[in-house]
Amino acid sequence: MSEYKLFAGCVIPNRLPFLELASRKVFEKLGVQTSDAPFSCCPDPVGFQSTDKESWLALGARNLCIAEEEGKDIVSLCNGCTQTLKAVQYDIARASELEKQRISDILAKVNKEYKGSITVKHFVQVLIEDVGIDKIKSMIKKPIELKIACHTGCHYARPAEVMNWDDPEHPIYLRQLVEACGATPVDYEEEVLCCGAGAGNAKPEYGLGVLKRKLDSVISAGADCICVVCPACFTQFDTQQRALSKMVEKEYKIPVLYLTELMALGMGFTPKDLNLKYHGVKTKNIMEKIGL
Amino acid sequence: MSMDLEFRRIVLGKYMDSTLHYCLQCSRCNDVCPVNEVSDGAYNPRSVILNAYLGLKENLIGKPNNIAVWGCQICDTCNLTCPQDIELTDIFYIVKNLSVQAGEAPEYYVIQAKAILESGKAIPLQTAIERRRSQMGLPEVPTGFEDDVKIILKETELEEKLSKY
Repeated sequence: MSEYKLFAGCVIPNRLPFLELASRKVFEKLGVQTSDAPFSCCPDPVGFQSTDKESWLALGARNLCIAEEEGKDIVSLCNGCTQTLKAVQYDIARASELEKQRISDILAKVNKEYKGSITVKHFVQVLIEDVGIDKIKSMIKKPIELKIACHTGCHYARPAEVMNWDDPEHPIYLRQLVEACGATPVDYEEEVLCCGAGAGNAKPEYGLGVLKRKLDSVISAGADCICVVCPACFTQFDTQQRALSKMVEKEYKIPVLYLTELMALGMGFTPKDLNLKYHGVKTKNIMEKIGL
Repeated sequence: MSMDLEFRRIVLGKYMDSTLHYCLQCSRCNDVCPVNEVSDGAYNPRSVILNAYLGLKENLIGKPNNIAVWGCQICDTCNLTCPQDIELTDIFYIVKNLSVQAGEAPEYYVIQAKAILESGKAIPLQTAIERRRSQMGLPEVPTGFEDDVKIILKETELEEKLSKY
């Protein structure tokens, strides 16, 4: 397996370092080699692309150039970063000669040249393709016997023509990985529904409305917790349940685990090793349930 | 109500040979849009596409309530569902970019863009988190992108595009 450039993004390193910790531990155990690089903001496909597409495209292209210079593919810990980097590649490939020249002129100001020569992968793709389910299963010492609602999130596989990965309507790989950890993925109606983080950026009530629809579906399926692969979804679930409880006067407190946290627990790391204390919705009850 | 030809040219510029002409107004985008549901229809992707296609800029920009444009959270569900394969969110980006320049973006988007202008990251590092990282034994967050970001965003005139905030 060749070394990847690690694209950790903004949210994980700068707000949720415990998710970076779990991811690095899991990568190390599985032999996924990574190195860091001076990447800027990806930038955010929802926010910054809506603000100014050209700035978004140029900054994204610069990040790609950095990995290209080393001839290394990128592994991303975040749906948003994955989508931006893949969408920039997709957009530049389809751009007119004039548009391509414009991006190339902007990049020339920082001595970069975009080639489109590398592959960008979400970490789930690396786990599935480079490591494989069998190896992951063999590394699980402590099966996590919980019922889990898998939430891949929007930019994991949509838009399909850009992401070109998994099934956007019935994603299967997160379920397989959760199963490999000894957990049971539950079927729930709103599995592919958005977490609502994006809608909350324009109007908080809308974000909470989407969140409610999602969580009601998770609860009625009898899940112990939600498993996510994107820090924006993580933040929405982990911090906004309190606001939702207040708005609808009903308590919501479903714990959220990042996939790499779940895997690390299965590999024998403790909640303390992983700093689960930094979660907003406490994980104590589910940890007791599995004897941790 | 009048057609803004320049607006229509921008919207159709990239898509003249594409699928936008074939929008059936079937409203499948509204059916699957989570925000359409929670906003009781205040956000209506079908209507954004219609107004953009017809060049009816005044129905989208210059309205006291910017939700007609900014309700979209780019979840890409409409793109996936559209029977005519219209890339709706690509149209929404164009409309939102114009809305930003008209001074109508929600605060969140402006704060984020200014953070990227100033620090190169949407969510800059904080001292408390730096301390936490070192307690966890994590390496320092790589730097060295700041100057490049400033040069690139000067070239794309982001500051000028945000001049109304």
